[in-house]
Formats: sequence, C-alpha cells, structure tokens
Amino acid sequence: MDKMTIPRRHFLVGAAGTVCTGAVVGSGAGSALAQDTALPDYVAWKEPGAFIQHSENTLETLRGEIGSVVTPNDLLFVRNNLPSLTEDDVGDPEAWTVSVEGVSDPREITLAELKGLDVAQVASVLQCSGNGRGFFEHETSGSQWLTGAAGNVIWTGVPVASLVEALGGVADGVQWMTGTGGESIPDGIDPLSVMVERSVPIAAHEQALLAWNLNGEPLPLAHGGPLRLVVPGYYGVNNVKHVKRLAFTEAETQAKIQQSGYRIRDVGVEGAPDQPSMFEMNVKSWVTQPLMDASSGRVLVMGVALGGTEELATVEVSTDSGATWSEARFTGPDLGPYAWRSFVIATDLEPGTYRIASRATTVGGASQPEDFPPNHRGYGHNGWSAHAVDVTVS
Amino acid sequence: MACIRRGLLGGVIAIALPAVQVAAEDLGKQIFLEGSGDMPACAVCHMLSDAGSEGEIGPNLDKLMPDEARVRIAVHDGVGVMPAFGEALTEAQIDAVARYVASVAGQ
Ligand code: HEC
Repeated sequence: MDKMTIPRRHFLVGAAGTVCTGAVVGSGAGSALAQDTALPDYVAWKEPGAFIQHSENTLETLRGEIGSVVTPNDLLFVRNNLPSLTEDDVGDPEAWTVSVEGVSDPREITLAELKGLDVAQVASVLQCSGNGRGFFEHETSGSQWLTGAAGNVIWTGVPVASLVEALGGVADGVQWMTGTGGESIPDGIDPLSVMVERSVPIAAHEQALLAWNLNGEPLPLAHGGPLRLVVPGYYGVNNVKHVKRLAFTEAETQAKIQQSGYRIRDVGVEGAPDQPSMFEMNVKSWVTQPLMDASSGRVLVMGVALGGTEELATVEVSTDSGATWSEARFTGPDLGPYAWRSFVIATDLEPGTYRIASRATTVGGASQPEDFPPNHRGYGHNGWSAHAVDVTVS
Repeated sequence: MACIRRGLLGGVIAIALPAVQVAAEDLGKQIFLEGSGDMPACAVCHMLSDAGSEGEIGPNLDKLMPDEARVRIAVHDGVGVMPAFGEALTEAQIDAVARYVASVAGQ
C-alpha cells in the first residue's frame, strides 16, 4: 500500500540540515497520523488501509487506490474544515432546509421540496485546493497531500439554475453565488473568522447543483450531507457542505475563508482579497500504476487526468523523466468536461530505473507545466515533474 | 511534512536556563487559554486536556499530537478555515504556544 514517491523536498531539506521528526520517509505521509490508526468514527464505514490520515478531518486516498473511472464512496478522500455534522445535528434529512436569498421570491426550501423540483446528474472531480501540497519544497501549513485529495464522483441533485428559475430569477447586480455551511459556531467566536462560507462568480451557478446523492447513495454526512452545493470544475472548498443558505449577492462574503484564505500568493505574503482565489481547477494528471516496481517486458502505465473545466485533448506519458513523450489512450467513458478520464499506455521496459511522468493537455491548449511555481499555502500544484514516479523494473 | 530547522536558534534554546524554559511554557499555556489582544484563545476552538479545554471547532490536539513545527506554521499562517495569527501574535508568543502544545498534546 505504501507506494509513493518521496517528494524531492524530503531529500533537499534533509541535506540542508533539517531534522524531520516523525516523518515516515518513503510513505510521503510526513506529519500524518500513523497509517494504521483506525479511521475516526464518523468515517468508520470507509475502506481501512486505503488512506493516509493527516488529521481526524483529513484523509488522503493512497495513490494506488484511485485508478478507476469513478471513485467509490468508501475510497473518496475526506477533507472537512470543521467537524462533520452528526445525525443528531441533522435530524430528518428530508426536512433539512436551505434558505435561498437574492432571488425574486426568496424563501426557505426543504430537501423534500428540492427533490420534487428538478433533478440532474453531473460527474465531476472533487479535489482539495491543497492536493499536491506535499510536492512543494517550501514549508507549508496544512495537510501535506500528495495526489490523494481528489476523486471523480457522480452527484445527483437539483440544478441551481432550475431552483433560481422557480424562485423568479436572481436580482439585478448580482455578481456572486454564496453558499453557507450549516456547522454551528460557538458563542464567543466571531463567526466570520471560521465559518465555511464561499462565494463563486455567478456564472458558475449554471453548472452548479444542490446535491443529495453521491455515486448513487444518499450523500454521507462526512461528505456534506444531507445537502451540498456542488460547483463542477471548482476546487473542493467551493463545494459547501451541509449547505444552509444559498445567496445571490453583489459582493463576495466577508468570511475569512474567502477574504484571506484559499488565495494564491507568493511565499511569505499574507492572504488578501485582491489575490486569485481557488476557484477553477487546472489541468492535471498523474500515474497510478506502476508506482514502485514492475517486471520487465510489457508494462501498462495507467493513470487519471482532468481538464479542470475543459475537455481533455491528450495525455502523454514519458518513461525517461520527460525527455521523450508518447500519447496514451483514454480508457473508459468520457463523463464530460468536469470529470477525469483514466488513461493507459503499453510500454516495453528493460530492467532498470525509470522516472515515469504524465502530462495532460486540454482542447483549449492548456497543458501541465514541468514545474508549478511555489505559492505560500501550497495550492494548485499540477507540475508534471513533481508528480512523476520512480519505478524499478527487474 | 513536519520539520524543525536546526540552526542558531536551536542552539540558543538548548543552553537556555531551566527557569526561562518554565516561563516560556507558562506563556505558551497562557496564550492557549487566554489568547492575546484580538486573538481568541486556542482553547475556544481546540480540545487539549493539559489546558482543560474542550473546544470542538478545530481538531482535537490530543489526538492530532502535532509537533512544534506543525503548530507553529498553523498558528503563523493559518490552516484552511483557521485564521492566521502571525499578525496578532509575536514570534516569541507563537514559539511559546507551539512548544507548549507539542509538549503536552496527547498526554
Ligand atoms: C477560531 C477558532 C480557532 C482558534 C482560535 C484556533 N484554532 Fe487552530 N484550528 C481551527 C480550525 C477550524 C482548524 C482546522 C482548519 C481546517 O482544517 O480547515 C484548526 C487547525 C489547527 C491545527 C492543525 C494544523 C494541521 O496541520 O492540520 C493546529 C495545530 C492548531 N489549529 C493549533 C492552534 C493553536 C495553537 C491555536 C492558538 C494559538 C489555535 N489553533 C487557535 C480553529 C481555531
């Protein structure tokens, strides 16, 4: 299970005179809790042994476990900013209400009513903004995710566009769609300091859903049940869990998670509203097999690739650290622009060591860079070099 | 990845007098329990048995058992929805609270 490449940073900082305490070198788990720690109760239904536990609220799917077209619920990563709601908190899921504001006919609407309004399915990649953080060489706060804060899932819910239409359309001057999570914030804390409330540009509402179902099952609480705002093509943080309020607003929310959190800036710079926010995902791919060893001869190199918000055009694979590239073939169905596609290429490898990389390109021509520039909080890494794996063929 | 940079500072800490260390530990616990200026106490949001705190907004620090570096960077830069306190606290205060949490978490 322990098939990870060691981020180069492990070597570099080691050489620079740094003591890495408790780092399980080779697992890439870094400061994660030990991998054999039992899963926390609220996710006890997940596959034991398939995750790296970075904290109680952050579980990373092992690289070798996510190769299929759709990521099953019990293998899907977990990343909760605040502790997940419990069944007691939620009560009867059908009676869950969301307050819709900034429309002609604002009102509270129950999950049961939403289910009767309209329905659609969307396949989309759910990916944490910090997926790949562990590949950056500078020191960053937060979970040191490598590849496993991502999954490809199928959501069922009501299109936000249908809901807006049913409520008479959005008010004039609206620029943002703002979702608010239902976690309660204890007295004595300024709610804006820790609440999960995110605004996305209003155009994103056209593809958004209020979803109650994940891969054919009622949306688990750990993933934001009973109702979650899903914004296909956008990083995980914008997909507000336990959504209680959906507001069409003229301004972005004042919540810290929007104003200074999840902003891309140079290393050493504080977060501020004028920096790019973690909205649309970028093009990315990574190999999921082989990860460490292979037998010589015919070796199938497989992986997954996403275009962010665009269809993919190609995925290329290199077995020589990027010196030469060959086009891989997509396997499985095309589930649309927001989903990932699995790919394969058959190689013929003699005994030796190989650095295997993949590089995806969208129909619009966006392509993964060799290196992704460092940013303070370690967001958005899609550099193909850091995502490459070192494989020994014998 | 939790790494502690070895350097001049490490040397200084190593030769610090025990009395100074005790004071730093007190300071760390005080910040944890009371915060500083506008900054709310860590205790409001985090569970840590040594401090007797039962906050449930952030991870239970007894279970997380973070090392000093992980606490320091979380407090300085923020993490996800936890705000950065690099402005509200001095480096010495951050060091003190990081050392305190790392030394008592999980006990
Ligand atoms: C207003 C509430 C709040 C306060 C005050 C607060 N925290 Fe947090 N803290 C959180 C939340 C919420 C998280 C989880 C954030 C996330 O994962 O998005 C967190 C995460 C952490 C983590 C985990 C970091 C990691 O690597 O996963 C540590 C360590 C931590 N806090 C320490 C502290 C210390 C020490 C203080 C006081 C100086 C403090 N916190 C003050 C809410 C708070």
